[in-house]
Amino acid sequence: MAESEAEVPKAKPRPIVRLGIFLISHSCLFSVICCTAGVLTLLLLPVLAKNTYISENALMPGSANPMFSSQEVSEANRLVKSLTSLDSKPVGSGIESQRLIAEYMSDLGAEISYHKFYPRSNQFHPLHFFSYPDSGSTRENVSCISHGLNTVGIIRAPRGDGKEAIVLVTPYNSLKVGPGEALSLGIAYSVFSLLTQVTWLAKDIIWLVADSRYGEYAAVNAWLRDYHMPVFSGLSALKAEICPVSNVHNELKENSVTERKINDGFRRAGTMATALVIKVTDGSEHFEDSLSIYAEASNGQMPNLDLINIVNYLAVHRQGLRVKVEKMRSLINCKWLKILGEILQSLGHVAKSLNPQWKFGIPAKDYVEGAATLASSLYYQALGVPTGPHGAFRDYEIDAITMEISSRVALNNKARKNDFLLRGGRLIEGVIRTVNNLLEKFHQSFFLYLLTSPSKFVSVGVYMIAFALLVASLPVVAASLYADAHKVDPSFGIDKSTPQASATDELSITPRSCKWLNAAKKVFLVHLWGAVVSFLPYFICQIPSCTPTTSFVVWVLLSSFSLPILSLILGSSFSYGRPSQPQKRDWTLLKSVTISAAFIGLCLMSVINFATAEIGALLMVPMCLMAQPLKLDIRSRKLRKFLRVACNLALGFLGFPPAGFFVLKGAFEGFGGITVGDFWSWLESIWSWSSATYLYIGMVHLPCWVLCIHVLFHPC
Amino acid sequence: MEPKEQSKEKKEKLWFWNWVIASVIFRLVLIYFPKNLNLASRPEVSTPLTSLRRLAEGYWLKQLSMSPYAGSMYHGSPLLLSLLGPLTVKRIEGQPDHLLCSLVFVIADIVNAMLIRATGQNLQMEYTRSLKLLDHVKLSEKPGKIIPSGDIAALVYLWNPFTIVACVGLSTSPIENLAIILSLYGACKRQAPLAAFGWVIATHLSLYPAILIIPMILLLGYGTDTPPRKLFLQRRNVEVGDNPPNDRCCEREEVVHRSEVPHVFSWRPVIHFFCWTSLWSVYVLVLCGISVKQYGGLWELFKRTYGFMLTVQDLSPNIGVLWYFFAEVFDFFRNFFLIVFHGNILFMMLPLAIRLKHRPCFLAFVYIAISSMLKSYPSVGDSALYLGLLGLFVNELADMQFSFFLFCGYVGVSLLSPVMHNLWIWRGTGNANFYFATAMAYACLQIILVVESVSAMLNHDRKLRKPLTELQDGKN
Repeated sequence: MAESEAEVPKAKPRPIVRLGIFLISHSCLFSVICCTAGVLTLLLLPVLAKNTYISENALMPGSANPMFSSQEVSEANRLVKSLTSLDSKPVGSGIESQRLIAEYMSDLGAEISYHKFYPRSNQFHPLHFFSYPDSGSTRENVSCISHGLNTVGIIRAPRGDGKEAIVLVTPYNSLKVGPGEALSLGIAYSVFSLLTQVTWLAKDIIWLVADSRYGEYAAVNAWLRDYHMPVFSGLSALKAEICPVSNVHNELKENSVTERKINDGFRRAGTMATALVIKVTDGSEHFEDSLSIYAEASNGQMPNLDLINIVNYLAVHRQGLRVKVEKMRSLINCKWLKILGEILQSLGHVAKSLNPQWKFGIPAKDYVEGAATLASSLYYQALGVPTGPHGAFRDYEIDAITMEISSRVALNNKARKNDFLLRGGRLIEGVIRTVNNLLEKFHQSFFLYLLTSPSKFVSVGVYMIAFALLVASLPVVAASLYADAHKVDPSFGIDKSTPQASATDELSITPRSCKWLNAAKKVFLVHLWGAVVSFLPYFICQIPSCTPTTSFVVWVLLSSFSLPILSLILGSSFSYGRPSQPQKRDWTLLKSVTISAAFIGLCLMSVINFATAEIGALLMVPMCLMAQPLKLDIRSRKLRKFLRVACNLALGFLGFPPAGFFVLKGAFEGFGGITVGDFWSWLESIWSWSSATYLYIGMVHLPCWVLCIHVLFHPC
Repeated sequence: MEPKEQSKEKKEKLWFWNWVIASVIFRLVLIYFPKNLNLASRPEVSTPLTSLRRLAEGYWLKQLSMSPYAGSMYHGSPLLLSLLGPLTVKRIEGQPDHLLCSLVFVIADIVNAMLIRATGQNLQMEYTRSLKLLDHVKLSEKPGKIIPSGDIAALVYLWNPFTIVACVGLSTSPIENLAIILSLYGACKRQAPLAAFGWVIATHLSLYPAILIIPMILLLGYGTDTPPRKLFLQRRNVEVGDNPPNDRCCEREEVVHRSEVPHVFSWRPVIHFFCWTSLWSVYVLVLCGISVKQYGGLWELFKRTYGFMLTVQDLSPNIGVLWYFFAEVFDFFRNFFLIVFHGNILFMMLPLAIRLKHRPCFLAFVYIAISSMLKSYPSVGDSALYLGLLGLFVNELADMQFSFFLFCGYVGVSLLSPVMHNLWIWRGTGNANFYFATAMAYACLQIILVVESVSAMLNHDRKLRKPLTELQDGKN
């Protein structure tokens, strides 16, 4: 503003400059409009969602008739029966079931190998996101006593060159094979046996029977790591030093009579085009057989939309399954959402009556469902924790999903069971056949999208608008505050009586353009503190036998102590040669720099994990924009000002990460049984998955909150 | 009063050295955690020209008595190879790899900072003197009012994250920067041999500093940065027109007369400079010739180093804009655009030299900024250099517009760039355009920086003239 006033008498500035000046001078109005528009667009996203379509022409889903027949079903039944009979035996050492599966595989003529792995405790890799998946994973402490054993079977494609592969994953607990797990193994086995006979196969098939004793993700991840990181002799010697090689292989070999093709080494089959994780649950559905799709991988990464489309298309149009994706149940019964849906519906009707070609209205029920799905999609992406073993594949740029098939009734009836196996098998065969047609990787369709139903999605181009509107007000307000800070200060006026004085003033030490350095220093300090705070749990969790509550308390105490210490160390030596009397209006500059930092942080996060940035922006943008010293508001006794004070306090309370967490948790799950330790456990689960959300909370959100509180209680 | 001021000065000095030592410690700490950071493989830090890993490869080839330039791995100077090469193979048990090289880079950074500081002190002396001459007495009398720009610039250089990253990330850019800063320092001190040495080595190492010959000549001919010469003439006119009633004015007039001495272009140091330049270049060429004698001679050397720089053969992504452009452009237009892009730097030289001839150091800064924007393989080390030099003009550029915007832009782009690279290379959800977008934003920021700093400098000159004109007008 100061600049604008200085320039007006001189000459008319260029239109773009004038536009900027206009925006800056109306920043208040602009920010209100932008924020409202941002929130509204977010609420409109279920309406704006488009129907999915299969983008890659080469795929041709469902163009061939399924070859999966009752013969394969009987194969599946054979395996399931022997697995369950094995389970009923008292001496199930774990290796038995693997041996059984390997026997079945080798009867089909597949290459078999065992993969032994050691479960490793989740470790905190703060910079995991920026490095490729394998870096620094060799030197980790592994517990040698316990190990899991994956069984891997590979079919070589008759028409392929062995450079590409499709992966089937069936996680199961080798100690106790449940009925669902046995069925999923049965389905995978029957498909596998079919695929050994077909002639159209162009990609190798890998069937990974993952030992989920130590978690499904860990088993799959360990196998993938070894698949992509060849172990050379030196390293294997190192590993042998760490853990004495137990004679699992020999044991297995001795036990089995029919071992012909079991390989000691690690077998590979080219780059993976797709991975399908197959699970079966039974008896939970009321209406019909259904298929749940889980797709979220770490840091909100999604597989290519085409993969979901294929599965959805084949399941709905060929096998008649009901496809579901996760929903936020508590939102479905939400009153205000229903009302909003009805309003949108009637708006759609009005629009249609005006012009029949406008078709943007959707039924209120669909809207509520879409919104609930969208909310859960946002939540799981924002959490940054993979929703299943498919998440491990995404780290290696492989598109993968988990397909959870569940039947309508408990599968005791034999005919019913056979029908279920037939449908499941045909679905997987169809998906594999479609992916088999793929020429290269999935690249045609979207990677960045949110689902509002299995067949509807919001692409990046649309959902970015909501975010962009929300954060657009930040730079404008920052600029206007910055200009304000320079305008108000009387000592830096431009027109002076004597030219000499003006010259000296303009050349003097704290020139107007460098005043922000002080505020920037403060902001930098607080962000540095944020980094310290986010690395503290790494040390706190080393403390043995600590309940979540005590760790949380220790963390809070350490964090709150570290802030004054840090400012003592750095703050004193920073302020060299600068007479730093607290100026009256320097909170405007501080707020301006804070807002700029928040803007940079949010934009950065929107690239890394959009959902986190969106949720963070919803919390942080109003807080940053509203913050104003309480003293100023209280001094002038007006109702409007008191409202602002109340708003500020409420936002400041919500913006504090633990408080926000408890309020949100209470709102969705009820306030019963919430303890202080919950927040710690939640955070621990996030950081053990190396989620970028954790870093965001520690290094962007928390510092901004502290700065906003600082502005609120600024003495002026 | 006196002892108090002295103690304050002492404190300030202590303050400076504390920060220098802290920066060294910080670097050493980072050197001991190289695995976690993996900086040496970042495209922002190590380009094909500055990567130490490539240098080690070249040295290895040379040890096997093959040409170090075989296989398009190494493209640097053979002198650097024989200086740093032995250090790359030396390992100390239990210490990180390349520890010795890292230490060399840390030392280079410290020397850079000291040279910048000395240059800054020189500039500041000149600045105070010319202010005194121009009768901005009020300003020059308050010593605290002028920021010690040398100290600031040195600390900005040392604590700039770009410098730290370039130093820790095992790129040879600290050495290249050392040569450039050495030549500037030599020219400021008017030591022709030193200036010539620095210039020849800098040109030999990275070619683009060749354009610094214009600021060198101006520095040696006219002396360091002063307000425009016209101002001094104007000032004298004012003094002469005003009949001096007392001795004080006479004194001042004398001062003015004395002040004109450095404003005449003196050819002697320039000729010295050229003699020394030719001497040093012959020396360097002979050394290079000896070291590449059995590998195809000097012509091969030029083709593999300067040719590689000028024809942009390596199109792997970096923070510049050329790689993307030349990956897209049709092959038959390639030569044309090579000429256009490199001509771009040359086109800007002459106008800037005419406009800023009274401030050769600032001119050098502008040249370095422009070349680091348009060079074929830019890295953050180049930005570190010009940002450090920017600190030298903190007094003059205090009123620069958009300083806050530029600061935020630099922070944002330098954080966004690795994320975009990750999105493209490791996660596969982005593409080259994502990364190139940050490169373009970075180039725009650099353009804004150059434009704004030049206009702020010109405004500063205008401001100095204002009281003089008004004085003159009053008289007339």
